[in-house]
Amino acid sequence: MKRVDMKRIRWVFVLVVIADLIFLSLPTIIVVASSFTATDVVAFPPHGLSLKWYVKLMGQEDFIAAFLRSFEVALFCTLLAIPAGLGAALALHKYKVPRRRFWDIYFLLPFTIPLIVSGLGLLIIYGRIGLLNQIWPVGFALTVINLPFMLWAVSSSINALDENLEFAARNLGAEGLQTFLYVTLPALTPGIIIGSLIMFILGFNEFIVSLLLTNVHNMTLPVKIYNSIRAVIEPTLAAISSVYIVLALVVIWILDRVVGLEEFLRVR
Amino acid sequence: MEISKRKLFVTRAWWTFLDAVIGAKKRRSRLSPVTVGYLWMTPAIIIVGFLVVGMGYLLVYSVFRYDTAQFMVPAFTLENYASFFSSMDTLKVFGRTLGTTLIVTAASLIFGFPYAYLTVRVRNGWIQKALLVALFLPFFTGEVVRAYAWLILLGRNGMVNTLLGSVGLPAMNLIYNRFAVTVGLIHIMLPFAVLMLAPALTNINREMEMAAMNLGAGKVRTLYHVVLPLSRPGIIAATIVVFTLSITEYAIPAILGGGLYDFMANRIYQIFFHVLDFPQGAAFSVILVIVVSLMIPLAYGVSSLIATIRRRRELSCYSEDNR
Repeated sequence: MKRVDMKRIRWVFVLVVIADLIFLSLPTIIVVASSFTATDVVAFPPHGLSLKWYVKLMGQEDFIAAFLRSFEVALFCTLLAIPAGLGAALALHKYKVPRRRFWDIYFLLPFTIPLIVSGLGLLIIYGRIGLLNQIWPVGFALTVINLPFMLWAVSSSINALDENLEFAARNLGAEGLQTFLYVTLPALTPGIIIGSLIMFILGFNEFIVSLLLTNVHNMTLPVKIYNSIRAVIEPTLAAISSVYIVLALVVIWILDRVVGLEEFLRVR
Repeated sequence: MEISKRKLFVTRAWWTFLDAVIGAKKRRSRLSPVTVGYLWMTPAIIIVGFLVVGMGYLLVYSVFRYDTAQFMVPAFTLENYASFFSSMDTLKVFGRTLGTTLIVTAASLIFGFPYAYLTVRVRNGWIQKALLVALFLPFFTGEVVRAYAWLILLGRNGMVNTLLGSVGLPAMNLIYNRFAVTVGLIHIMLPFAVLMLAPALTNINREMEMAAMNLGAGKVRTLYHVVLPLSRPGIIAATIVVFTLSITEYAIPAILGGGLYDFMANRIYQIFFHVLDFPQGAAFSVILVIVVSLMIPLAYGVSSLIATIRRRRELSCYSEDNR
């Protein structure tokens, strides 16, 4: 009786996971497959193989421009988040600033305030100080809404750091600054890399806040794709989506190399 | 020879620089660690401060009066909040948002739990890696691209309808309705649920499960009496994250709902950019923030209530056994 019961639940779990796997991967497979279609409409299975949509994509300057803008914006947001997130994590975990609970909640505000509301608030501020036609303010907005990711990544590195290493450095005569540069910072590097990769890829994909803050002159790639979906469904979009998928794969590969994906099952 | 000389120079210059900085630091009056901490924190405080200021503006706008001619009149009124409850249409959109969010949250937890459990417990490293890659790939691909993929799949001439046609079945309306939005949202939320559940499951000592099974509990009973209660922190975290992200979602209802299945966020966008009624939009934004903020204490409350009920029931079981 118990044996049957045991086997059955295991099978239920395995079946659910297989269904999950298909569900999670199906859209990715469909997009990549339809980007190679030879006909003028998206069809699956594709009728004939061709690279013509990628060739066409190369010729569409507005898509290329939006791609480059997205890259700029994601890079700006990451480069700003590194010092800001590192500073906040150090202050909270090493310098023991008072009212720790308050600051923990304060730095989680970007997660607790809905993105549409954050975007509208930033839109009002940008409108008032005249930042709406430039590109870097979009990157700044992405730092604002995704900063907790960097803070979380660096904080878990700080918590994993053995304080005795720093004490040893100080004991051997290193000054505070030297200890920081040669002991603390190298130990936190994996955390900074995880945080940076997450900030970059999420910034590259960010949609709703960018939709609110951009116009025809500075729209990022996701906004551009969104506007094109409205117009017509053609395989060029499948081609650009495949570029996104390849980029995501690259980030996953680096994350796995640097820290191992299994880390995400442990840290909180 | 050349290189080593240059290296020597660079090293010397770097150390001279460091010494100068350290010297300058020592000459200054000593800063207390707390002050240094606040200095470190300043950039992040300013960055997040933009959200606080933005929320402040929305709060102020939300009590202003809308005027078709003057656009926004700085006079105190609660009309914008009242109209949320008096407009049937708005309540319908809110009810739809809440209902779909509850379904999505439940589905993400039910389908996410086995995925998280198996990923944490599987012994084969390759299977674990494959499960993780399958999880992170959609997670890092962005909502717009994924919604577009679902359009290809579920569209009128999409893959599902082509398959139906090839076996002689009539085509179905699979997009621009509740079904499409729910499926699209679960696809976005499933990775979040798994990533929130996994650390809690990792923290459960495997020996606890073995002990339960040694004492004669089957796998189902072990799951129900040991694993589920111990993964409570993960379940709460996943519920909060998935609920708050779903209820504030914009992209999926916009693309897969096609204007026929709007969420609150889509409604707020329309009020701001099509009606240009900023006070109204601001009031709805504030209401959305309040609903999301209430979710956190609510999730903890419900969870401890369930735990209490379960404990009572189990205790009464034992006392009956003793009799």
